[in-house]
Amino acid sequence: MSDNVNPYKQAHTREKAARLKAEQLLEDKSRKLFQQKIKLEESYIKLRQQESAMLQNEQLATLGTLSAGIAHEINNPLAFVLSNMESLNNYTKSFQKLLLLTQELIQTEGIKETEKSLLTDLIEQEDLAFINEDVDELLKDTSDGLHRVRKIINNLRSFSPTQNTDKVETNLLKGLKSTLKLLDSELKGSVDLQLSLLPLPNTLCNPNELNQVFLNLILNAKQATEDTKEATIKISSHYQNDTIFIRIQDNGCGMTDEVKKQIFIPFFTTKPMDKGTGMGMAIAYGIIANHQGKIIIESIEGSGATFEIQLPVIQTKL
Amino acid sequence: MKGVIFNVLEEMVEENCGMAVWNDILNQELPEGGIYTAGESYPDEQLFNLVNAVCARTKLPMEKVVGNFGEFLFTQLAARHPVFLESPADLKSFLKSIDSVIHVEVRKLYDNPNLPSFKYSEPDPDLLIMQYRSPRKLCILAEGLIRGAAAHYGQSVEISHPICIHRGADWCDLHIRFLP
Ligand code: HEM
Ligand SMILES: Nc1ncnc2c1ncn2[C@@H]1O[C@H](COP(=O)(O)OP(=O)(O)O)[C@@H](O)[C@H]1O
Ligand SMILES: [Mg+2]
Ligand SMILES: [Zn+2]
Repeated sequence: MSDNVNPYKQAHTREKAARLKAEQLLEDKSRKLFQQKIKLEESYIKLRQQESAMLQNEQLATLGTLSAGIAHEINNPLAFVLSNMESLNNYTKSFQKLLLLTQELIQTEGIKETEKSLLTDLIEQEDLAFINEDVDELLKDTSDGLHRVRKIINNLRSFSPTQNTDKVETNLLKGLKSTLKLLDSELKGSVDLQLSLLPLPNTLCNPNELNQVFLNLILNAKQATEDTKEATIKISSHYQNDTIFIRIQDNGCGMTDEVKKQIFIPFFTTKPMDKGTGMGMAIAYGIIANHQGKIIIESIEGSGATFEIQLPVIQTKL
Repeated sequence: MKGVIFNVLEEMVEENCGMAVWNDILNQELPEGGIYTAGESYPDEQLFNLVNAVCARTKLPMEKVVGNFGEFLFTQLAARHPVFLESPADLKSFLKSIDSVIHVEVRKLYDNPNLPSFKYSEPDPDLLIMQYRSPRKLCILAEGLIRGAAAHYGQSVEISHPICIHRGADWCDLHIRFLP
């Protein structure tokens, strides 16, 4: 080292190099921190989504068990009420016959005047002529009401997990096609039905239940497109990574995020009383969940909705 | 303006005029200040005042000093951030990456940097037009930076500046012609 080098300048150069290095370190760390922050934000969002999905699943599961329990409780009394109703119908008919006969006999000569007036007075006092007319309607309405209750109860019962023994190995396309046949007259003329069905493997499932899901989804699609000009329902199927995908897509009214959030809740409906029960999607959810599957909904309000059923393929052991 | 820009200016003055000159300038302009940390922001006028003082000392015109500073700034920034030079294969793709990659990354590193915006057009393969917009009106600095980048890539260029904020326009058009 020669003496004419300024020692402060040398130290300054060293210090500067050290500072540059420190800044470099800081920048590297800042960049890492930034990237980690982005990742953290992403996982946070994912977590929140999963949390709300889980909460919904739990709520639905609780609702399902609860409804199935209530349905079971109501079903027993309902069974005897329904069977009593049938007897009551028959008993009523007997009384009506008796009344008819009495009314006929009053008109004939074979009965004494005193007895005649006794019977006429009784018929009048008790308003039996009116009762005779009204009772048919009462019984009919009551029976209709009870049958509606039975339908709702049966719907609710489908929430309870099905036994594996109810399941058979079958091809879902068979069920889908027969459901479409069932809906033929409903759909014909009003919607353009476009099918693109790729072959599916057989899977262990409850075909009746899954047909009900198809029916509910297609009916919803049909109802959603009622005010659409060129109403179209596209149904497609494919198979990938051991999963069956069945997609039902309509170009109907679509739904808001608010509706989408509540769609699986029993009795949730946006339709008028006579059109919607709000049970279709709730039932579909229960059935698909019983099959370890998922229903994925995508919808843009005003331009349509897509419902995708995803079912894992389950094969019976050889 | 970020401290890193001041640091590079100090570096340039020291290299060309010596440490004493930089000290003099600071003593004269900012008797209390002159301490710059890369990631901190300092008032734009401080930089402009320092550059003015450099011009007065060196008796060089402003354009010359700012232009040279741009060239020098490029080599310094490139040395501090070699990653940005890794993937662009030639000068044109490097220049096109400034707005969408480099300055985007700069935003991640520093809090609220004041960066210009660039729009690009290529009327023919040998001509790149960079439309520069910034309230700081540092188009001459941009020219210098581009010359620095051209030297780094060993590419000869001809830069013209037909539309300029300093001549009443809302932006500057920098025409970069790539010479064989
Ligand atoms: C390795 C490449 C580069 C890096 C890391 C980089 C980084 C930066 C940084 C940190 C600033 C200061 C921001 C502030 O003060 O808040 C800046 C400003 C600026 N950069 Fe870049 N830059 C690079 C290349 C370029 C090139 C090649 C150009 C050429 C056009 C350019 C044009 C500018 C201009 C003109 C400014 C001044 C601010 C303004 O005009 O508003 N930069 N850059
Ligand atoms: N394809 C669809 N397009 C738009 N909205 C739909 C569709 N399917 C279902 N929905 C919405 O979800 C609600 C619940 O459906 P669902 O459970 O089948 O009951 P319902 O059809 O009896 O109303 C519907 O009232 C409707 O608002
Ligand atoms: Mg429905
Ligand atoms: Zn200009």
